[in-house]
Amino acid sequence: MAPGTVPPGRLRRRLTVAFVLVAGVSAGVLAGGSYLMLRQARLDGSVQRAAADARYQLVLAGQFVPLTDARRTELLTSFEGSGRHVLLVAGDTHASHPSYAPTPGPQLRAAVADGQLGYERLDGTTGRHLLVVGGRIPGSTAELYAVTDETDLIGGLDQLRTALAVGWLTVVALAAGVGHSLARRTLEPVGRASRAARAVAEGLLATRLPVRGRDEFSDWAAAFNEMTQALQTKIDDLSRAEARERRFTADVAHELRTPVTALVAAASLLADQLDALPDDARRAAELLVADVVRLRTLVEELMEISRLDAGREAVSLTPVHALTPLRDLVAAHGWAGRVVVTGDGAVLRTDPRRLERVLANLVGNAVTHGQGEVRACAARAGPLLVYEVSDQGPGIAAEHLPHLFDRFYKADPARSGPGSGLGLAIARENTRLLGGRLTVRSTPGVGTTFRLALPLTPPDTNQGAEP
Amino acid sequence: MTSRGYPGDVMDGRVLLVEDDASIREVTALGLRRAGFRVATAVDGRAALAAWRAQPIDLVVLDVMLPGLDGLEVCREIRRTSSVPILMLTARTDTIDVVVGLECGADDYLRKPFDLPELVARVRAGLRRATAVVEETILTVGGLEIDPNRFVVRKAGRELTLTATEFRLLLELARRPGQVFTRELLLDRVWNHSHLGDSRLVDVAVQRLRAKVEDDPAEPRLVRTVRGVGYKLATA
Repeated sequence: MAPGTVPPGRLRRRLTVAFVLVAGVSAGVLAGGSYLMLRQARLDGSVQRAAADARYQLVLAGQFVPLTDARRTELLTSFEGSGRHVLLVAGDTHASHPSYAPTPGPQLRAAVADGQLGYERLDGTTGRHLLVVGGRIPGSTAELYAVTDETDLIGGLDQLRTALAVGWLTVVALAAGVGHSLARRTLEPVGRASRAARAVAEGLLATRLPVRGRDEFSDWAAAFNEMTQALQTKIDDLSRAEARERRFTADVAHELRTPVTALVAAASLLADQLDALPDDARRAAELLVADVVRLRTLVEELMEISRLDAGREAVSLTPVHALTPLRDLVAAHGWAGRVVVTGDGAVLRTDPRRLERVLANLVGNAVTHGQGEVRACAARAGPLLVYEVSDQGPGIAAEHLPHLFDRFYKADPARSGPGSGLGLAIARENTRLLGGRLTVRSTPGVGTTFRLALPLTPPDTNQGAEP
Repeated sequence: MTSRGYPGDVMDGRVLLVEDDASIREVTALGLRRAGFRVATAVDGRAALAAWRAQPIDLVVLDVMLPGLDGLEVCREIRRTSSVPILMLTARTDTIDVVVGLECGADDYLRKPFDLPELVARVRAGLRRATAVVEETILTVGGLEIDPNRFVVRKAGRELTLTATEFRLLLELARRPGQVFTRELLLDRVWNHSHLGDSRLVDVAVQRLRAKVEDDPAEPRLVRTVRGVGYKLATA
């Protein structure tokens, strides 16, 4: 997972939460707002009705002034008789019905004492909700409070609130479900697309996305498919071109072999009889023979590298004493005076012919290009056997080092050595076949060291050499 | 062994050179003649077999890639009746083809392009191999009776047909039964390869020898492999 990207599932959760939030908030605002407005309207209506009624009742109560005990009782009975509960405060407080006997708060009392009409909502006994509207009875200091039972109204509002809350919760739950499945369905093409992209990255260029419907995702899938198709075509073209090129190189080398064979044989005959030729012709013949040798080397190395490219080269592994190929090499080429072989006597499992081929190239280069003594040593280093071939030559400039193993790369184009320019490329390919690494380091003016590191036992040892 | 082998006159050996490319054929024949051999040439497989039947030949230099009947077929055909040394010239890039050539009965091979002196040396070595070893007496090893003078090997009274190379290989091993011979040593002694040669020559020749002398070539009891070293002849 690259930094900064969203882990799978988190985006889905975010989308679901957003969906639920939007649905929850809008449903909540709608339900809550309606509830509050409705509640306010109902309560205001109730107060207005009670106030209008209270004004009328105060005028009626004015008929009972002066309030003697008997008239007071008559007043309370009259009110109770018409289905209204009142409180009469004239020095003492008298309730028309014992169940509806709230105590008006000081604010209400103060307002009423000022001669105003006031109201207050109070919780009565046994959980009742009471609306108390009061005023002074005209022509008296007594105060009359009309008590309205709002229990039903408040109960209705509570029921409404409960219904709305349940409805809201249902909406939120529904939104969560719908949002979750919608997010999953929306993000599914994204998951599919990232799996497909990963498959392409792994080299499965035949990967395609299904194109369904005509939405943005299907557009995107179609574009993705076009991209992989283009990529596949391009890569197929490239590998075909590369195969054609390698085939061509192999064919050229192969076709050159027959005339080169005749040339080499003819040059060899000519070389035997140089002395019989007149001076001018002899020099020409010498040049001819030398160039035939170069041509032969080039053709043989071209064939070798095209065989390596074709990947059909077999590796036959046997136990090899580390110093044997170096000593054989020095003896076979008569380099005993130039090359110093050192190192320990480890035994490694490798293909001796390929190892000899690589070492011959490295030591040969050192002898040709270096000056003074060439050192070739072999030493064990953990699971590896490391050969180092060092010369004391002019060294190689740093800018040439990365290209040294490229085909036909010459560090100094003006200097045409005896090599074909393929020697190190072949050495590296052979090293790769043996499961090893070939590297170089060089200090101009001091010398160059090639380092060949081979596994003591190659990981793939299914090819034995025993007949 | 057969009526076609004429051991003895190495420097005057008769070489049949089969090569379809005119330049290579001409210059190679020239080189072989200068080295003292008598050379007959053939341009394709059929001409090669005709030339082979028309005259006595001591050694065949055979190109693998020939028009019509190819070198492998020619090699098999000659091997049906003769143990004459056969040196293959291979233009093929695959090492597998080298092994196939050797399995068809060739004794040695050279890859094109080859050095003329190298070819001459190989021809000489091939002819020498086919020459009788005069001084030795009959050897008896592991139920085999080896007569170096007459180039004959008998097993339980039955005469076996070995090529010159197979015979030389067996003789080399039989001279010191039980001793382990490295491939390089055998290459040097039997093929006279002085340089770093191809040890598969030895491996293929050992397979062919086993096919002829062992009771069960899949379970060799006589010519034993010594892993990582080489071969030896078991005495028991």
